[in-house]
Amino acid sequence: MPKAQQKKKAKPQPKSKARKPPTRERGAKPVSSPLVSRGKLERAKMPAHAPKPVRPAAPPSQDEGKYVYCIIKSEKSLAFGALGIGGEPAHVQTVNYQNLAAVVSSTSLVVQDPTRDNVLAHQRVNETVMQQHTVIPMSFGTVFKTDDDIIELLRSAYEAFNDVLNKMEDKFEFGLKVLWDRDQIIREIEEEDEDIRRLKGEISSQKGSTYFARMQYGRLIDVALQARSERYVAEIFEALRDVSVASRSNKPIGDRMIMNAAFLVTRDTEEAFDARVKEIGSRYDKLTFKYTGPWPPYNFVNIRLKLERAH
Amino acid sequence: MAVERAAGGTSLIDVLDRVLDKGIVIDAWVRVSLVGIDLITVEARVVVASIDTYLKYSEAVGQVGSVSRPQQAELAAHQSVLAENVALRAELAAAKATKSIKAARVKRARAGARRRLTTEG
Repeated sequence: MPKAQQKKKAKPQPKSKARKPPTRERGAKPVSSPLVSRGKLERAKMPAHAPKPVRPAAPPSQDEGKYVYCIIKSEKSLAFGALGIGGEPAHVQTVNYQNLAAVVSSTSLVVQDPTRDNVLAHQRVNETVMQQHTVIPMSFGTVFKTDDDIIELLRSAYEAFNDVLNKMEDKFEFGLKVLWDRDQIIREIEEEDEDIRRLKGEISSQKGSTYFARMQYGRLIDVALQARSERYVAEIFEALRDVSVASRSNKPIGDRMIMNAAFLVTRDTEEAFDARVKEIGSRYDKLTFKYTGPWPPYNFVNIRLKLERAH
Repeated sequence: MAVERAAGGTSLIDVLDRVLDKGIVIDAWVRVSLVGIDLITVEARVVVASIDTYLKYSEAVGQVGSVSRPQQAELAAHQSVLAENVALRAELAAAKATKSIKAARVKRARAGARRRLTTEG
């Protein structure tokens, strides 16, 4: 409806007779093709100046989209302040559908690069929203064209989102990475293990070929390191079992890391979890702990979205 | 050693580790097509393809990566799609066969009619 009005408004003032834009109403007349294409161009330009009087409240320009940070439960529309992605932090608010809400901010309709600023802004919004709400975090860089697209997603995934939100209710994720000083552990192993100590002595004293002894030594060290890391990790998991709901083990990164895990913890056992982690830290004085959180439950939810043709 | 808790946003690596491929994930090419206008104008919409939650306490001592389960799920989905494809192809072949039989019958009938016409005429 408003678009038709715009067209009619714009029509009476063609820039020149020769460039009169052929419209659909006049399309019945035979028009030469260059004119048609020019008319199309002009029509495409029109919204740049026309929409303001028609939609004064929310004028989303053609190339503006909505960046989505997370999904929460809320029947009211909420605002979280200027925290969002953008050179000047965008205002973060919700797009609601029944009891679900997507936390969004306006952004240019482009694929956002995961720069330091952008990624931290994404996390900042999630952290802020998480203080008051249970969130299903969105992975970085999802931009929808309009609010309607987002509402359509909330509508089509309504039950699934509600189900996941119920499962994650009042739960946070904590990250725990455990690192060790490999050389220090090797020295320890050498002290404790008689075979290894003997081999080492052989290697350092022998004058001829030490090839076999070195091979044997290396193999025994590897086995001992593996066994020890498995023991540590199993003990740490076991120690945190009764203060968390779930845990996931990710692949350790680099050769200093022996454990890269995430724990799902309820709001009311957070303190107990925290105390336990610190206690473990003091128990293993040779290990380094990197303990982070609270996070939204990234490691405990995996929802994949796809495109489907609407009918 | 004393363990201190760091807030989520303090380590970029930890943030990247999570935000790039965890939570609600949309394929990179879909992400691109969402901002390109074409797919929207042909009335595509975004829907959920799969959902997994992980509410078990993993013992996982070894290197069982975080991606093992979704991959398996995808594999299963993939196999079911393949199976469906085979079934559909079989159906299609059957339909074609009956169609060609029908077509042959029609042809024969027409030929018969023509013959009849020519003999009558």
